[in-house]
Amino acid sequence: MTIKSISGCIGCEECVKSCPCDVIRMDGNKAYIAHAADCQICHLCRMYCPVDAIEMAPEKSIPVILPWG
Amino acid sequence: MTDLNDTTSPTRREFLALSGATAGIASLGMAAWAQNNVEIDVDAITNTDHVTDVLVIGGGMAGLFAAVKAHDAGAATMIVSKGRLGASGLTPFGKGFFVFDPDTESGTIDDFVDTVSRSALGTNNPTYTRQLAVHSMARAQELRDWGFFDQTLANRPFIKPIEERNIPLLERVVVTHLIKEDGRIAGAAGFRVDAEETVTIRAKSVILCTGAGGFKPSGFPLGDLTHDGTIMAYEIGAKVTGKEWNDGHSTRSVNPAACYDNWGDMFERVPSTNGVEVHHDLGVDINYRAYVTGNPVSGGTGAVQPTEAVDGGPYVPEEFQNVGQPSGDGEGGALGAPPSGEGGAPGGPPPGFAASANVGGASAGMAIHKSEGLVPFDDRCASNIAGLYAAGDALGSHMAGGIYTQIGSSLAGSAVQGAIAGEAAAEFADTVETPVISDDRLIEFTDEILAPLRREAGYGPAWVTQTLQGIMIPNFVLYIKKASMMTAALAYVEELRDHHAPMLRAANMHELRLAHETRNMILSAEMKMRASLMRTESRCSHYRLDYPEVDDENWRAWINIYRGTDGAMQLEKQPFDTWPT
Amino acid sequence: MKLSAQKYAIIAGLFIFVGLPVLFYTLGDAPRRTVLKEAISIATLLALSMMLGQFFLARSNETLLSLFKPPQVQKFHKYIAYSAVVVILLHPALIVLPRHWEGGIKPWDAFITMITDLGNIGIILGIVAWCLLLMLSITAFFRKKLIPRFKLRYRGWRYFHGGLAVTFTVLALWHAIALGRHTDAAMSAFFITVAVLGFAMLAQMYWGAKTPKSKPTSKGAVT
Repeated sequence: MTIKSISGCIGCEECVKSCPCDVIRMDGNKAYIAHAADCQICHLCRMYCPVDAIEMAPEKSIPVILPWG
Repeated sequence: MTDLNDTTSPTRREFLALSGATAGIASLGMAAWAQNNVEIDVDAITNTDHVTDVLVIGGGMAGLFAAVKAHDAGAATMIVSKGRLGASGLTPFGKGFFVFDPDTESGTIDDFVDTVSRSALGTNNPTYTRQLAVHSMARAQELRDWGFFDQTLANRPFIKPIEERNIPLLERVVVTHLIKEDGRIAGAAGFRVDAEETVTIRAKSVILCTGAGGFKPSGFPLGDLTHDGTIMAYEIGAKVTGKEWNDGHSTRSVNPAACYDNWGDMFERVPSTNGVEVHHDLGVDINYRAYVTGNPVSGGTGAVQPTEAVDGGPYVPEEFQNVGQPSGDGEGGALGAPPSGEGGAPGGPPPGFAASANVGGASAGMAIHKSEGLVPFDDRCASNIAGLYAAGDALGSHMAGGIYTQIGSSLAGSAVQGAIAGEAAAEFADTVETPVISDDRLIEFTDEILAPLRREAGYGPAWVTQTLQGIMIPNFVLYIKKASMMTAALAYVEELRDHHAPMLRAANMHELRLAHETRNMILSAEMKMRASLMRTESRCSHYRLDYPEVDDENWRAWINIYRGTDGAMQLEKQPFDTWPT
Repeated sequence: MKLSAQKYAIIAGLFIFVGLPVLFYTLGDAPRRTVLKEAISIATLLALSMMLGQFFLARSNETLLSLFKPPQVQKFHKYIAYSAVVVILLHPALIVLPRHWEGGIKPWDAFITMITDLGNIGIILGIVAWCLLLMLSITAFFRKKLIPRFKLRYRGWRYFHGGLAVTFTVLALWHAIALGRHTDAAMSAFFITVAVLGFAMLAQMYWGAKTPKSKPTSKGAVT
């Protein structure tokens, strides 16, 4: 699931800016998860969020390709 | 806080979110060939043109110092970054910063350079190794003044010197093309992800601080690093090196993509400095072990390490065999453990770390830090294209060699090289006029940039990326190399290059970025396979099952890659301890 | 008989102003975090709920005044209001405080980012409401000095206090619903309902049953 939910967003856009993979975008005054498949689960958005609005999960939302299973 | 050990069944909320995400995959670019339902008016996309003396591309550790030093040397300087200053690429995740402090080190800088050269089996460029040690302390002091060692997040300390100097900063701009006019660098072109806008920048000199890259693998924060700088420079004739080396970070077999979780508390650590500590951290030996003995391979930071010997495999010089082996509280260099080159401070395993099965390939597609990228033509980060410089992971300086040697040298090396490149680029800019680029030329670039948005149908970039991952990431292709398999993989990659890259579609600016990144990864994969095929020996992090020995007679040489006059990829040897001509 | 009615009133009050917000919090979808963070969330929710409760611990609530003596009601009103005010005035700081024990953004940086996010109406409403609440509490604290300065004396104070409270509540609720992590549909509906009822009672007292010669207010009860 990667970045999982945003609740209590104040619309400061810190997460949008600090996501290396452009996963989060703004919808009016609220940030939303626009491209979950590209989330690398690095938690930068969560760590930059001033009001701790972001919840993360360790699962990727698309199949993961590994050198061995 | 996320519970690392929480494997219970999903709650109702999680379940709802899960099904939402699954629906998302179907609609978001994972389809292969499909109609391109463009969400924006492509013809309404405007262009913004900028002019500067020195253009720094990239907002990580190298880009920071390149911009600061170019500005301080008197050049009008501008930074453009795909992400946010201090919050993109690998910079946010590097926590160790190597400092050579003559007052506390027992050896001299000469000793340090010799030790690195012995561990690197000659693959390092001693000029750059020395430079790292000489300048590391001064760079660390500047970072300390800006507050870098007081926090977890690098954006604020990075923004401080940039704001003090009023250096223009363009964030969230994807640069896709370098512009060369009259035989020298003239600028760059790209687009904004947040606005329907292309961006062109005319510059007297350009410094690539674009980092290295990978194949968007799982378990390492490389999602935004796709060798963009290397590929842009290759396309205008720059020479590229180091593609055969392999970074060997591993990840957990449970939730392998969760790089934050798999690194314990490291992503939340405050950066710190460390002194001389030279390793021969392979990382890829876990891949050999898995190849020979099967899975799963236990290990990883804080875990009990496998002890039974495995015959063969990558060679580790005797002097360095015990360095970093677990001694109860060691962490770096342990089999399968993430090399601590990124700089976890030495010490015990991070809290909350439970031993579990590991899987390799977390950083698939990335070589050793500072080993891949543009070939340096002097000791000041210059490429073979006049006015084009590179620093940090975008420069194939071979500062540490084709293997992790000095702990914490990744961040420190980027800082040191960024500063040197900044000054060199400013000096160059002082000697030339602002380049003239005709409007027609600029339109050529913007047309090429926007092409995926204009296709009526095409391949989804995410699907092509996954296909490329399927070709390149398997252990028996990328890590345990042999000619037959690499030849086969290369054939696949060439197919993607010729018949998929030109037909990538994008429905919006986000997908446009993915399309360009995907294309860069394909070319990068081709370089990786060709260089790996050419190096018919095993050395450092390059391991050939069909050529398992170090071959000093033929291979005391780096491999440089460049585009031939016919457009095909050419490879050449450059002997160790020499400069290219 | 009267005692049990009093008990009934207290239980009903607790159920509405403590039980319901806790219930909606429990049923809500917002992710659970650390105990400290959740405790701060619950405290802030209850403080807001208690502030809304003040409309019912007032002269306008005739039912209550028939059960309790006005000084008793005033005492409750005062103590509950002051404690809730402290939590609400501190909540911007409480939101960022737990970051002190984590990696990531530092509390002070988070605070600055938050209150300078002036492009967001929710933040501006919050800041204005915060100032109003500060004014509301300071004027309430010094009411004895203030009352003589009003033209209508005590009645003037009441209009002032009630008016300020209503304005604060409107802005604060708007702010909470726009930005709050727990103000989902149920919680928001609860807050709005309670507020509207409170406003209605106040309105009724001010404009409804006009009794120019009202019965003398109980001595000493300056609510």
